[in-house]
Amino acid sequence: MRDATRPLPFARAAAGVFGLALEGMVWSRRSLLMAVLLGLPAAFGILYRAVLVARIPTQVTAADLYGVIVTAYVRFLVPLAALFYATALIADEVEGKTLTYLLTRPVQRAAILTGKFAACLATTLSLALPSLVLTFFLLITARGWGAVGAAVPDLFRDMGVVALALLAYGALFALLGVMLKRPMMPGLLFVFVWEMVANLPGYLPRFTLTAYLRSLLRHRPPSEGFSEMFGQVLPAALCLEVLTGLIAVFLGLSLWIFSTREYVMEQ
Amino acid sequence: MTRSRSVVLGSSLVVMVGVLVAMGAIYMSPARAAVGPMPAEGLVLPADTRFVVGLDVRRMVASELYTSSTGRRPLRPEAFAELEARTGLNPERDVDQVVIAGGPSAGTGPNAAGIVLVSGRFDRYKLSRAMETMRKDVTWKDHQGTNVYLFGEGRKGAEAAAFLDDDTLVFGSRAAVEATIDSRVGGKAPLRSNATLMALLERVKPGSTFWMVGDQSLLSNLPRSLPAPGGSDGASLQLPAVRNLVVTGDLDPQVALDVTAEAADEPAARNLADVVRGLLALAALQGNQKPELKELASAVSITTEVNQVHLNARIPHELFLSLQPKNVAESPGVAR
Repeated sequence: MRDATRPLPFARAAAGVFGLALEGMVWSRRSLLMAVLLGLPAAFGILYRAVLVARIPTQVTAADLYGVIVTAYVRFLVPLAALFYATALIADEVEGKTLTYLLTRPVQRAAILTGKFAACLATTLSLALPSLVLTFFLLITARGWGAVGAAVPDLFRDMGVVALALLAYGALFALLGVMLKRPMMPGLLFVFVWEMVANLPGYLPRFTLTAYLRSLLRHRPPSEGFSEMFGQVLPAALCLEVLTGLIAVFLGLSLWIFSTREYVMEQ
Repeated sequence: MTRSRSVVLGSSLVVMVGVLVAMGAIYMSPARAAVGPMPAEGLVLPADTRFVVGLDVRRMVASELYTSSTGRRPLRPEAFAELEARTGLNPERDVDQVVIAGGPSAGTGPNAAGIVLVSGRFDRYKLSRAMETMRKDVTWKDHQGTNVYLFGEGRKGAEAAAFLDDDTLVFGSRAAVEATIDSRVGGKAPLRSNATLMALLERVKPGSTFWMVGDQSLLSNLPRSLPAPGGSDGASLQLPAVRNLVVTGDLDPQVALDVTAEAADEPAARNLADVVRGLLALAALQGNQKPELKELASAVSITTEVNQVHLNARIPHELFLSLQPKNVAESPGVAR
């Protein structure tokens, strides 16, 4: 018999919150929108196979197109998906004034956020990775299966980078979500304004997430303007170290803030 | 099972099937051994290769610079037409990639360019006939079931050529070509055992039009000092030792060159960067006589990162073309 005066064990509580949060996240309007957004590359792949493959000059290879798509995916779509889900983890509960019900359960606050973050990660990965895999096969096999073997290492690398991007952006936006009442605008500004710093010269790109993530990708599509002039590729080991460190810091801070903060619900 | 879990499970299944198919493709594909920009067939190069140079001919031919008539002129397209008439080979159309390797076994030296691997689509019969008839001193022999064409057999520095398969031609010294065929027939990949060069190849920017990697042993042959400017009394600039070099380049949308040289330590890298900056400054000083040189100097940037020196050049096509030697016959005064 469990001691009812003590909170549930952390892992059990987190698993319970994970199941509950997953139900709310996967079957939602937000997921429908995100599925459409993250499915855009796969839709382009189908369009390419059905119509474009015969019209695009052979010099533009499917591998080139795949490289451009993956770069844009990691730069824009993945951060957007992380933003929409991770900022809502706690902010939605505050907005809907349902946070009280969660906090009055006999579970640690850290377990609530951990379970919700895990559900957010599972949902975004479930939407992003199949689209990436489908896009890869649709594009790379457009002119036969000959080029697939050589391109597979890139696919595995891209999948890893997408997962890491969801984790890094998810952790950052979860932090914004527990800190701010309306985290969406700062999040959008971060993705579409601050992350542009990655195209500047010098050390400034090191203050963005995208500089580390794009350095881990092997695709280097031709670019123009600042990114063409100053585009930097940082060492892979440094990128992994920094991203791991940032994820730990963002998640640690989120857990600490959520565990100690007093949330006041508006009447 | 709830609907949400079914969705997650379904998408996990899609990913897993994709991963399995991808792994199957790696196992089945002959290109599974490719390293960086080096095609799988390039791994038959000798293990003691010191440097490898690659040219993606398809990318080069498709580039804006090449397709412009001015950019193509130095390559004498009429020579390509002549070559096609004789051999059925149009390099612009049929060649995909050229890889040149040098080293002790590759036979690099004053009389040999090393091993050259050319991949593309060849009219094998016509090309073989052309090789058999192009010179009088051509002989051919069977080596492990592959026809090896020998040019000047018995002579020192005799060259050889052979088809590794329908899509790959190899040129070089006889010993090097035969060793390459042996590796190919035996399913070996000697270059893989050269860990230094493999690591350098991994660092080459994917999709580069041209690239080059070289290790310490190649660079040890470079001069260690340069005459100092105005150093009539024998003064010279000491060049720090370079441990390895990676060069990548593209032609579109402008000529882009990225060179990364690794020095022994951070001070050596700064020293090397200073020497290169000094040379660029000298070029800029020539700007009065040749303004293109000044523009070229400003198109190049040098940075250091720990023990690495990065040289980035972004040269607009117009500037690149203006740096080419002028053809006297085409100068306006003569043309009229």
